[in-house]
Amino acid sequence: MKKKNIFKSPFFKYLVQRLGQFLLVVFVGITVTFIVPRLSPTNPVEQKINQMMVSGANIHPEALESFRSAMTEMYGLEGTVWDQYRAFWGRFLRGDLGPSLSSYPVPVIDLIKKALPWTIGLMLTTTLISWFIGNLLGGLAGYFPEKRWVKWAELGATCIRPIPYYITAFILLIIFCFIIPVFPTSGAYARGVIEGFNLKFIGSVLYHTFLPALSLILVGLGGWLLGMRSLVSNIVADDFVLYAEAGGIDQNTIMKKYVIRNALLPQITGLGMSLGAVFSGALITEIVFGIPGLGQLTYRAVISFDYSLIMGVSIFSIMGVSVSVLIVDLLYPLFDPRIRLG
Amino acid sequence: MKRGWLLTLSLLIFASVILCFPLTAQGGKEAAADSVNPNEEVYPGVKRGDTLIVEDPSGTLINPDSFNVWNVWAGGNGGVSNGLQQLAMDTLWFLDPDAGLDGPWHNSLAAAEPIYNSDFTQMTAKLKKGLMWSDGVEFTSADVKYTVELLKQNPTLLFGSTFEVFVKSVDTPDKYTVVFNLTKPNSRFHRNFTVRWNACWIMPKHVMEKDIKQPSDALAYTFNPPVSIGAYVLKDYDKQGTWTLWEKRKDWDKTSIADFGEPVPPYVMYIDAGPSDKRVITQANHELDMIHSIAPEGIIKLSENEWESNWFNGFPWGHPDPTLVAILPNNAKAPFDNVDVRWALALSLDMKKLALASYKGAVTMSPIHYPPTGGSREWYFDPLQDFLKDFTIDAGSAGTIHPYDTTIAQQIADAARKNFGDAVPSDPERIKDVIGQGWWGYNPDAAAALLEKNGFTKQGGKWFKPNGEQFTITLLNWGPGNPVLARLGSMVAELWTNFGIETVATYSQDNGTMYNLGEYDVNMGWNIETWGGHPDLSYFVDTWHSDFYKGIGEMVNGRNGVRYRSAELDKIVDEVNVTDFDSDRNIELGLEFLKLTTKDMPTIPLMSYNVFSSQDSTFWSGYPTFDNPYANPVTNWANGRYIMTQLKQEMPPTE
Repeated sequence: MKKKNIFKSPFFKYLVQRLGQFLLVVFVGITVTFIVPRLSPTNPVEQKINQMMVSGANIHPEALESFRSAMTEMYGLEGTVWDQYRAFWGRFLRGDLGPSLSSYPVPVIDLIKKALPWTIGLMLTTTLISWFIGNLLGGLAGYFPEKRWVKWAELGATCIRPIPYYITAFILLIIFCFIIPVFPTSGAYARGVIEGFNLKFIGSVLYHTFLPALSLILVGLGGWLLGMRSLVSNIVADDFVLYAEAGGIDQNTIMKKYVIRNALLPQITGLGMSLGAVFSGALITEIVFGIPGLGQLTYRAVISFDYSLIMGVSIFSIMGVSVSVLIVDLLYPLFDPRIRLG
Repeated sequence: MKRGWLLTLSLLIFASVILCFPLTAQGGKEAAADSVNPNEEVYPGVKRGDTLIVEDPSGTLINPDSFNVWNVWAGGNGGVSNGLQQLAMDTLWFLDPDAGLDGPWHNSLAAAEPIYNSDFTQMTAKLKKGLMWSDGVEFTSADVKYTVELLKQNPTLLFGSTFEVFVKSVDTPDKYTVVFNLTKPNSRFHRNFTVRWNACWIMPKHVMEKDIKQPSDALAYTFNPPVSIGAYVLKDYDKQGTWTLWEKRKDWDKTSIADFGEPVPPYVMYIDAGPSDKRVITQANHELDMIHSIAPEGIIKLSENEWESNWFNGFPWGHPDPTLVAILPNNAKAPFDNVDVRWALALSLDMKKLALASYKGAVTMSPIHYPPTGGSREWYFDPLQDFLKDFTIDAGSAGTIHPYDTTIAQQIADAARKNFGDAVPSDPERIKDVIGQGWWGYNPDAAAALLEKNGFTKQGGKWFKPNGEQFTITLLNWGPGNPVLARLGSMVAELWTNFGIETVATYSQDNGTMYNLGEYDVNMGWNIETWGGHPDLSYFVDTWHSDFYKGIGEMVNGRNGVRYRSAELDKIVDEVNVTDFDSDRNIELGLEFLKLTTKDMPTIPLMSYNVFSSQDSTFWSGYPTFDNPYANPVTNWANGRYIMTQLKQEMPPTE
């Protein structure tokens, strides 16, 4: 029997293409992130001076000149953009994102490490929950369109879907923190609770993050539900489904193996993109509910024009989306034999 | 069709919830007031009734482990509004932006006012005896010397570059005397140790010298836990940066605040209270005693509750900060380099519309280059009334006009009354206090005549410059972070456009840099901030001297981003620099400055920067107000420490 050359297989070609695309996207994304803030006439030193002056700092002009030159040197903003770019890649490849300019000299990576678990915890959980429930309900709604509960679910999803997630957050805040004050208005956990892997801390986190999670789930769920219902509605009218029905295959099997499985492919891609976006954080939700995640960090970085921190968060976001898409691409052959077999 | 109906339904549900909020923002809160519990723990072992909860406007701190208040990257640009500068730090003097407890000036760590030699090359500070750091070590002149010398070697730390440039050496002849030898005459050197918003905080030498081996170590030093020279010590803080808890020292009487008695709250907690709407909700739930600032709409709603307290305890609600909101034309760029053009821009503005568009009429306006706050009415506004009424400008074909209009405050009050009813005062004297005494009358005919006098022409409703180009303005406006002043800028643009000068209001994060580089037409902002509690102009005016003038394309150093210069101004600044801080001549120089700038109109002054701070009297009362103006209620100001001594505990814990 002739041995199959794996390097000539369609799957290998597919794999190499996807890896190449991944590296290119990461390189271009990071380069653009490096360049964009530097196109602005503002630099972090001037931004800092502006902030100080607007906040009422009283610095004599001669002292300000001295401050400016010392800060420029400290921030490492001397030299051409090309010099800074090369130095950046040198540091980046060693896993060093440099010091935060707005919390100098704390390393950017330390700030991200501190914020990341909150964002991942909130966003990953809510994305998976809303994806799972949304697709389940959407699949059933598409397959059994005449059922009464389907109509109510669709009505609910259509009502919630157009409302931006941050408005949903405010509505929940007003209802459950003010009108019926059963949830705390702010914070990731109760004051005085010691962070750690213990029931008290976990319970406090779950209680404090219930509302922000609910706001994200409600909005996300509506989108997945409507998307899945629409996909299933189209697939149930396809020839292969009608043929299966005519062949006497039971409804559950048709729904699970013929309809849902086919409808899931684009939803899995969507999930991959959503999981990647987890690293961007839910900026306004985090600010509204006082969750100390990447969204808060991004906001602080932008308002203080902290190049290093903006880049650090952006790199995580770029890497997150790229890696997620890559993983989805690599998993696709498992779901779709057309890719596996070429 | 069905989808459209569903969308409408969803919007209706959304709208009803939103509308529900203001309706319940009062009744709901009264229900909540019945359920307030002074025994509830806000932190293990710390009861609500014993805790003053204050908004930290810095928001969530991204580096909460650092209490290095000298680091410019610390929250609030070295101010650290999490209670550090209000409760734990201290310096030589405080100058309250309002009336103060015993006058605006307070010798804090110092025992007396600063003493200068005859040529202002040396300043001596006498220190109080018996003040103690929270670890039991006495505060002495060695601490002051250490502070200055360490900062002098670190120009990137707050006040470091100032000391590098101005301090030759520091002598400590005894434990309670510090002599600063200056590199050049400086009659206002004491301002570096005089708190308006903040100042150079004194370091505990005995603590820091152990940790800081090299001067450069000061940058990464966290000062955690901070050793306090104030009446409170750090009890705990959130590692995620959302709250900081302070506890009253048992030996509070060994701190400078003891001059005014014992601070009342056993605990003070500073919290990140979230966006404006959330602050309203949190205070309505009685979980936030002092709000730093909220949107005017928020305070209007909260003030319907009996327990709510604010600066005026009614219209116009906001505390006027000693900061002058103004229109800042680029004096170095044509045609804004022409005084007639600047006056034409001023006269084509309708202050009533500006006041209503921005603060819904709740403004404290100023026609002169000085914010209408603190003691300013007595020093400058009242003495200048005759000058302003007699002031004339040659408006070409419109003749000589008297631009000052004393009826504007009444017009604003009448317009505001339509919205707020009797909350708006009707007593003319009270109107002068809260809204102002007058502004420049809306006079588009005179504005047109001023432009025509300078060769401008109007065609098809649009103004054209003498060179034939259309006269357009790009107005650098406030951004979404300050919606009230953004509305002000939009109204300015609308009024100028209606007058025939096509004006586009823009916002980007680069606005500040464009302004500092002089690469702009007109900016909305402020370049005049004053002491508030003292008439001295040095707080901003020295940087307006032509010695520090920067042309277009050069970064400005200081507050003269409008690039105004004049020989008369230099003369005033030169004299201010060698005039005693407290002398009558200092006020005379202030009056000369204000007359000069009225004539030249380098910026168009509008109003004070009103900060809508709201306080909840459920657990604590006795907050400062316009009628009892002993401190600034805006929570990130360091003089908030004086409030602690004046509060009354309304609901102590019963368990």
